[in-house]
Amino acid sequence: MSNATSPETEIASLGEETPPGQTMIELKDLTKRFPGQETPAVDRLNLEIPKGEIVVFVGPSGCGKTTSLKMINRIIEPSSGNIIMDGQDVTSIDPNQLRRRIGYVIQQIGLFPHIRVGDNVATVPNLLGWDRERTTARVDELLDVVGLPPDQYRERFPKELSGGQRQRVGVARALAADPPVLLMDEPFGAIDPITRTRLQNEFLRLQSELQKTICFVTHDIDEAIKMGDRIAILREGSRVAQFATPEEILTNPANEFVEDFVGTGATLKRLKLTRVREVEPTEALVGTVDEDRAELRRRFDESEWTAMLLLDEQRRPLQWLRGTDLRSSRPLTEVGLRARATVEEQATLSDALEEMLLGAAGVAIVVDRRGAYQGLLDVDDIITAIQTMRDATAEFYRAAKLVDPEAEAGA
Amino acid sequence: MSTTLTPPDAQDATRRQQAMDEDAASARRDRRAAVIRYLGMPVFLLLVLLGLYLWVTSQELDSIEARTLTLDSLLGQTQQHITLTLYSTFFVLLLAVPLGILATRPKLRRYAPAIIGLGNAGQAIPSLGLLALLFYIFRTQPALPSTGTFPVVVSLVGYSFLPILRNTMVGLDQVDRFVLEAGRGMGMSNRKVLRSIELPLAVPVVLAGVRTALVLNVGTAALAFLFGGGGLGETIFSGFQLRRTPVLLTGAILVAVLALLVDYIAGLIEEKLTPKGL
Repeated sequence: MSNATSPETEIASLGEETPPGQTMIELKDLTKRFPGQETPAVDRLNLEIPKGEIVVFVGPSGCGKTTSLKMINRIIEPSSGNIIMDGQDVTSIDPNQLRRRIGYVIQQIGLFPHIRVGDNVATVPNLLGWDRERTTARVDELLDVVGLPPDQYRERFPKELSGGQRQRVGVARALAADPPVLLMDEPFGAIDPITRTRLQNEFLRLQSELQKTICFVTHDIDEAIKMGDRIAILREGSRVAQFATPEEILTNPANEFVEDFVGTGATLKRLKLTRVREVEPTEALVGTVDEDRAELRRRFDESEWTAMLLLDEQRRPLQWLRGTDLRSSRPLTEVGLRARATVEEQATLSDALEEMLLGAAGVAIVVDRRGAYQGLLDVDDIITAIQTMRDATAEFYRAAKLVDPEAEAGA
Repeated sequence: MSTTLTPPDAQDATRRQQAMDEDAASARRDRRAAVIRYLGMPVFLLLVLLGLYLWVTSQELDSIEARTLTLDSLLGQTQQHITLTLYSTFFVLLLAVPLGILATRPKLRRYAPAIIGLGNAGQAIPSLGLLALLFYIFRTQPALPSTGTFPVVVSLVGYSFLPILRNTMVGLDQVDRFVLEAGRGMGMSNRKVLRSIELPLAVPVVLAGVRTALVLNVGTAALAFLFGGGGLGETIFSGFQLRRTPVLLTGAILVAVLALLVDYIAGLIEEKLTPKGL
């Protein structure tokens, strides 16, 4: 790092060298020995993290995954080994400068309780000496991005937010200076399951736009499969048991350790790999509230559907209407069954299946970002999707002149 | 919608109105409670002083009492008392807070028990004993003044050192370590973490220590007269020695009122300086 360039230009330049898909972070023989412990917590970890991908470190507790992550921004100083980031050895540069170009999200979030949400998000821009106008604009933009309207949330204190909202602020704060690299240590670990699923989906949507290089630590294999472009399954001492795509890990576990860790139900887990948008949704019979009721009834009678999905002016699902509802004299918005079980296109088939099973209708309504109706998904669609995945896997193994382990097991 | 992130808008306008009414009502209640809290103590102290005044003037004072209980001498002693308290608190802050910060830095952490022990020792010695001890030491050092404000302030500093030192250390220690990790993880220097996170978050606990120290000092400063430091102790002691109850009571009540007033003002400052959001 030369002194001539300001930290800010360095941040901007970090990552520009490396084209997408190339190695962004390289860990070389990274080792951590804590004083007074015989075996190293992390033992010569070698890993290449491609640019623009989410790499998940997953493993049983005490395997050294968090220590490995924290060595990348040197919250924990490595005992030996090197960290190469964007072609530059960052093992011995000023850690504070390094950390300002790496976003950092931890499970406990660590929002500063005494300053307002907006100022929390502005932490790194302030450290980098951005002018106030630019910082304010950036803070507002980010609060918007994470789904917290700035006018409503900027002036609040962290204690006035729910756990999920706090974690959103944590993510916004990590993204504030637009760092090319993000480290996330069980970011959704302490959040209730429903909010967690939401935040995961939201984060994946965000990542599809931002294309950050992300290291993500979790102990939850399901989360790893859902979030990871690549998964590093770590065993004691942070030794890599397998480093591969989720598909590869599920269909072709490298060893018994991986097999045990992934556990049973690999097919169900693979549902977490397919997004709703990858499946062609079925069309439903729809009507909107501004249409004439007689017209709706005519369309309903002409169709073979047993129910019609009523949409509001923005095409957001409102109600399921049956024939009796359409013929009744009460306003349309007061009759019928409320349309539940909506899933975003970003959600996984597993989420969709969950919604179907919870909802009474056995179907999930697919909506876009703004909540507008896109189509329907039913159980048959999911079965077809599983079938397709199986076939694809079988095809892959035939092509590789290997025996499909599942087919073999079935035989 | 199960997978969108936008917080649901409250669709029901009446419910929102109700919530606003409730907020307004609770704000009114809060204001009323605040008025009582802020004015209660000063009003009470004024009533006590008024009662004391009425009681003393209703007594037939003999010549000794009349000479001791002049407004001039009482005001002078009160002023001395306040000066002693403020000086000693100022110097103890100057010493104990930085020492508390130093003792919680990772490099010096292992000395923390020793430092606390030192402060404990200062507190364990009875205040009169400590004053006498210092008085003796000052007498044997010709370079140092053996009477007056200086030795009294020194011993008050020694005596109130512990509450502030310990509260500084505890205050810094209780800051959530993940908040610190987040700060460091975003590239704050250690100094920046101390200044922008640790110290603001430690303020309430440190100030609680300051408050305790102030009240302690008001009480201990009543012994200052023994070393020519003046203060309201003079009135109390002469009332005691001369068996003049009005004199004794006046001195004692004034010290008590002063202690309560100092505690009240320190409480206001504490509230003012505590960061919002905690």
